[in-house]
Amino acid sequence: MKKSTVKKLLVVMLTFAMVFAMAACGGGGGGDEGSTDAAGGFTIFNSKSEIQGAFEELAKQYTEETGVPVEVYMSQDTVAAHLATKYASKDPYTLNMVDPKDIYSLGVQYGLDMSGMDWISDTTRAIEVDGKVLGYPTCVEGRGIIYNGTAIKNITGKDFDPASIKTLDDFTAICEELKKGGMEAPVGILKDDWSLAAHYLAQAIEEREDVDGYVASLKAGEAKIIDDPKFNSLMDTFDVLMKYNAFAANASSVEREQVEQMLSEGQIAFMFGGNWDFALMKDFDYTGGAGMMAVPQKEEDAYTGKLLGGGSKYFYIDASEGTTPEEQQMAKDFLEWLRTSEAGQTFISDTCGMVSPFASNTIPVNDDLGAAIKTYADADMLIPNYLYFPDDHISVMGAKMQEYLGGKCTREDLAAAYDAYWQANK
Amino acid sequence: MNRNTFSYKLKQVLMFAGPGTILFFCVVVVPFVYGLYLTFTSWDGVSPNKPFVGFENYVAAFQDSAYWIALGRTAIYSIFAVVFINVLAFALAYLVTSGVKGQNFFRAGFFVPNLIGGIVLGYIWKFVFNRAYVALASAIAGGQVASPLSTTGGAMFCLIFVSVWQYAGYMMLIYVAGFMSVSDSLKEAAMIDGCTPSQAMRNVTIPLMRSSFVQCIFLSITRCFVVYDVNLSLTKGEPFGTSVMAAMHVYNTAFTYKKYGLGQAEALILFLVCAIVGVTQVVIGKKGEVEA
Repeated sequence: MKKSTVKKLLVVMLTFAMVFAMAACGGGGGGDEGSTDAAGGFTIFNSKSEIQGAFEELAKQYTEETGVPVEVYMSQDTVAAHLATKYASKDPYTLNMVDPKDIYSLGVQYGLDMSGMDWISDTTRAIEVDGKVLGYPTCVEGRGIIYNGTAIKNITGKDFDPASIKTLDDFTAICEELKKGGMEAPVGILKDDWSLAAHYLAQAIEEREDVDGYVASLKAGEAKIIDDPKFNSLMDTFDVLMKYNAFAANASSVEREQVEQMLSEGQIAFMFGGNWDFALMKDFDYTGGAGMMAVPQKEEDAYTGKLLGGGSKYFYIDASEGTTPEEQQMAKDFLEWLRTSEAGQTFISDTCGMVSPFASNTIPVNDDLGAAIKTYADADMLIPNYLYFPDDHISVMGAKMQEYLGGKCTREDLAAAYDAYWQANK
Repeated sequence: MNRNTFSYKLKQVLMFAGPGTILFFCVVVVPFVYGLYLTFTSWDGVSPNKPFVGFENYVAAFQDSAYWIALGRTAIYSIFAVVFINVLAFALAYLVTSGVKGQNFFRAGFFVPNLIGGIVLGYIWKFVFNRAYVALASAIAGGQVASPLSTTGGAMFCLIFVSVWQYAGYMMLIYVAGFMSVSDSLKEAAMIDGCTPSQAMRNVTIPLMRSSFVQCIFLSITRCFVVYDVNLSLTKGEPFGTSVMAAMHVYNTAFTYKKYGLGQAEALILFLVCAIVGVTQVVIGKKGEVEA
């Protein structure tokens, strides 16, 4: 071979080598999850970051028991945004854990109809759209007022009975008693937009017979929320919460951890929140004795004593061309195993402290607030969540609720903004 | 070998510029063009269908008052941040080139904030403003003192403060290079001719450092206009959505509200605004550049 030919060959090879090396660099930067192909098995997307470690352990156990390889992935990104990138690259997960409202978008587009599966008769919380069963519930979650029973007992000297707080007057009375007993401000309020808008303000929509009809009349501009007794009743309660807020000076900047620490350690007695708050509370010097009660309101009605809640985090099985029928079958088998096997039930109730949506799971919930939710769920005392809030509800109305919390606007301003919001979202 | 042939030149270009060009094409040009295409669709970011809607997203972007408020807020933030970043960076550069003891240590020290990522930096300062400041001020004043992050003006101040703290050290390095590039002999000549030190600085050093100013102002303007990380971790747009900057609004529109096409159109407008401001500044700055 001539020397010049060797040189030429070398140049060409070098060029290719560089191009491929760079192309490989570019292609590899897809994210933190790596490849999503479990050889001969299937993949799961988990959107509850706090249970990722336990979920991976469970997957290992499942593989040992059944021989089916399972890989569990997680992303810190928004659920819909992350799954969108997976669909764009035609590499979807087989089993996807998403929020209930995502079932109505992602599930409807890509989900497999699970009609006929055994688990459906074991729960009341499956999501069915147009006759197709698309969402498998993972857990039940609820929201209301979290109380620290130990902190209350330390001041009042007697065991706290949440059933004794039915009306706003009862609540004000206990707050006054706690105040006299030395707890200067017994309430904490989270300023986070999701808590204020999606959890608190949303109650004004959810606590009524005909939710869809009311939303429709708000959208049409026929109803004004300022005239609504439920809205006013809940805002009266919010005013009382604000009156006893331990963080009044920093109401719109206080961090979630600060409030939950005080609640956990018994420096405050009440906070509006949900069972998910326990994961944070138990990280501090938790006094024990926390539980949940309904949001007290002026008048007693059909919703008195009830929490708001329902199925939270749903699985759908991918039915797009990126998933084979074998993988879909494996995912179905896994869902049944998760519900019926002891390992699966223990994982949900004990390891993760979640409330199982399935009647057949009788393992006690290893979480004080979760256990409280289970009591309400078993007694059919959960008011269903409204799942059709528009996507910008949290940020737009959350900001307005923060203004109200910070004393920057009146109830009338808030109501007018809410009316305008619905009318803009026809 | 004849080095003047076309094939030889082509090979040379392919070998040296080829990999970079391909990479640039793949990660910049293709996404940009694809992004441009998406602005003409009503894609929700998830669906396999991307319905073509023409210029609807641009019309919607111009009607989106929240976006223009956020853009205006970003402009105000950028003006303050750019001025303070550059004034502070210049002052620091002057200090660490004036021969003070341990100036290398100071150079490194002032540069360090730039090594911490924006997200981490935001959380650190959030702690300082929300906890440390509140605890300290409450102890001194007696009674609860509000965190600066709980007021609209305070949140903006905090954002500007943290950005200045983050970027001043980085820009300082460019100014240091500028100071070092001005020959001492020129300054000495000016002094011999009767200049006071401040006159020498104003009439000799600063004009010769013009390219440093152009670079630093360009970098700080473009970075401030697309600020997102500090915005997210320090204020998250709060209180009451009054510290949402343009980039955060674009992200929310595209990913949270699932209006990808609209978000992309707004991102394009942000890009154009940023490019026009940046390029204008560079053109004006370069015009008067002098060389020794």
